[in-house]
Amino acid sequence: MEKYPKQKKIFLITSVVLSLGALIVFKYSDFLIENVNGIFGTKVALLNLALPIGISFYTFQVLSYVIDIYNGKVPAQRSFIKLATYVSLFPQLIAGPIVRYTDVEKELTKREHTFEKFSYGIRRFIVGLSKKVLIANSLGELCQIFLATDEKSVIFYWIYGIAFSLQIYFDFSAYSDMAIGLGKMLGFDFLENFNYPYISKSITEFWRRWHISLSQWFRDYVYIPLGGNRVGKVKLIRNIFVVWMLTGLWHGANWTFVIWGLLFGVLLIIEKTFLLKLLEKIPKIFQHIYVLLIVMISFIIFNANDIGQAFLQIGGLFGANGEAFINSYTFYYLKSYFVILIIGLIGATPILKDKINQLKEKGKVRKVINALEPVVLVCLLIFVTAYLVDNSYNPFLYFRF
Amino acid sequence: MSDKTKNVVVTFTFLLVLVLFFVINLCTKDIEISYTERRKLAQFPKVTVKKLFDGSLAQEFDKYSTDQMIKREDFRKLKAALELDVFRKKDNNNIYLYQDSLIKIEYPLNEESVLNATNKMNAIKKDYLQGMKCYYTIVPDKNYFVSREKYIGMNYEKMEEIMAQSLKEMEYIPIFDCLELQDYYVTDIHWKQENLQKVVDRISSKMNFRDRIHTNYTKQDIIEFDGVYAGQLAVKTAKDKICISTNEMIENATVYNHENKKETKIYDKEKLSSNDKYDIYLSGPTPLITITNPNGEQGKELVVFRDSFASSLVPLFTEAYSKITLVDIRYMRSKDIGNYIELKNQDILFIYSTTVLNNSSTFK
Repeated sequence: MEKYPKQKKIFLITSVVLSLGALIVFKYSDFLIENVNGIFGTKVALLNLALPIGISFYTFQVLSYVIDIYNGKVPAQRSFIKLATYVSLFPQLIAGPIVRYTDVEKELTKREHTFEKFSYGIRRFIVGLSKKVLIANSLGELCQIFLATDEKSVIFYWIYGIAFSLQIYFDFSAYSDMAIGLGKMLGFDFLENFNYPYISKSITEFWRRWHISLSQWFRDYVYIPLGGNRVGKVKLIRNIFVVWMLTGLWHGANWTFVIWGLLFGVLLIIEKTFLLKLLEKIPKIFQHIYVLLIVMISFIIFNANDIGQAFLQIGGLFGANGEAFINSYTFYYLKSYFVILIIGLIGATPILKDKINQLKEKGKVRKVINALEPVVLVCLLIFVTAYLVDNSYNPFLYFRF
Repeated sequence: MSDKTKNVVVTFTFLLVLVLFFVINLCTKDIEISYTERRKLAQFPKVTVKKLFDGSLAQEFDKYSTDQMIKREDFRKLKAALELDVFRKKDNNNIYLYQDSLIKIEYPLNEESVLNATNKMNAIKKDYLQGMKCYYTIVPDKNYFVSREKYIGMNYEKMEEIMAQSLKEMEYIPIFDCLELQDYYVTDIHWKQENLQKVVDRISSKMNFRDRIHTNYTKQDIIEFDGVYAGQLAVKTAKDKICISTNEMIENATVYNHENKKETKIYDKEKLSSNDKYDIYLSGPTPLITITNPNGEQGKELVVFRDSFASSLVPLFTEAYSKITLVDIRYMRSKDIGNYIELKNQDILFIYSTTVLNNSSTFK
């Protein structure tokens, strides 16, 4: 592009078509075929292609690199090895965060290695691994139990909604923690991907705290090029819908993901129009309840096999399926997973982190915490090993992306 | 500890743990069998190009590395302790401790599986047992005896109902009320032979051979053992004990195994060296065996379609028959039965546990 500026648009289009083409073929071809078959009554066979691991993430990384070069934000990387390192950087290759070339350009050439950075990386990695194995997987078991049983109750639907919302947060943020930690150990500084999203007071704020790298990617490479906020109302609504439909589709080739994305699109339009101002006037607790309820319902849609199941489960929250309010089965699992749920609820807020930071401000306590840290980390590592040894098959939720 | 020191300590401790585990794992010889889980452990996978590209190599290696992890049993116990004592879960891997007994949650009721079992039983009845009086009984698993308020369990009444509706040409012998939790081993899935008198009385009365059996058994303690659930939880339980009920007729009876063509005794003491001490009863799981009792009433024969619970129960029927055949259709095809047994006028009993009925995909 730099060498042939007149043809740079052709290079950009070629690169975007190739990258997105591969993503569409591997991820969306069967979805398209199913819909064509459904609409036209055809019987085109599904391709059943295996989804290359992390394709959604590295496709977006490649796109950001090419678009940034096209826009002249960064010079092209002339070393193939360094470019390949950026695209295939293993810590975040599988489940993000989506690292932009501009963020690691300098580190691809020169990285700083210190004990401080390495030990921070270790801490972050072990904490992430523990969040995944000890909390997310346990909550995942509870969700599987709910999905498998015929003895559902209204309370069990709520437990499922809360458990899955916590599971997906702990699973995905854990993976980001591990990626950031591994990055630190290797000398890279990846940007944060989560910032306690469940303490948000609006959906707009939620998406500033949840999967930050994806939201920012869509903002910079889709929303703003479409005109962003600086357009008329109709175009603004179009822009928001396009971004959120694509956000939904990025998460998976199913209409449930499209609806999930569009739900947020609608809510963000409503918030932009009037709701944000209204929310500011009500007590904070109701702002939190509003966000948590919407997010929980959205994740029920997200995790459903199809739209019918999603509506059935949402109806179940409000007793629409005629099930008991609570039964012995629900009671058993509520008791069995109560501690994990409480740990999850507390861990999803910055309470613990703030408390530790507050204590660390006192010199003597800081020394004690410092002395305890290696012990706690080793214990966590051993606990995680115990869980992994007991449970040989243990896939990450975000592998499907 | 200063920040600087902490960073150095964290770094070197982490690296030391990684290197230590790696080196010790590398130097430790792989183990073939996990005795507590009663299964073969994964071995280092055979590397092929095909497996490399279809992903199975990575899966097999993953299984291998977790199966062969050093101190695996201790890690599993630690996990159980964390689950039960720290996270306060009510069970670990669906196993829980109740009144000193390790119990597996069998849940939910798999109606399809129960129907599959009854279909197989009906097919056997139609193919081989036309005009013959057939009985069936269901052995409850330990979870049946635990309070529904504290734990969960399958809908046993529904299972009985499905069986009754599907097996209209057979007579049901209910034995749930003949048993208590104490009649089962604490660390194993099975019942204790020495506690089965009520069950024997119920079945023999219903099948009209009560008058041909006596209860003059000598009870002998044979060996202490850990059952299939031992080691699953990080809690100490009492050891179980194999106790056999024997008398002269049982001692004189012989058992012919059609699979390995070997003749043994009803209580096969050679099996005491095997992983599963319960195999002492009729030599453990096998497709087809025949018990011959030279002192039994001639012409009286019994055919039992069964699972492992029958192994300790049927010896107590020995006195009433000159010949008892035990068929396990989990290990042989139903359609081959006619090649091995001539079915005519024998007493017929189907005996299956709720666990097997709920997981009957192995029925052939």
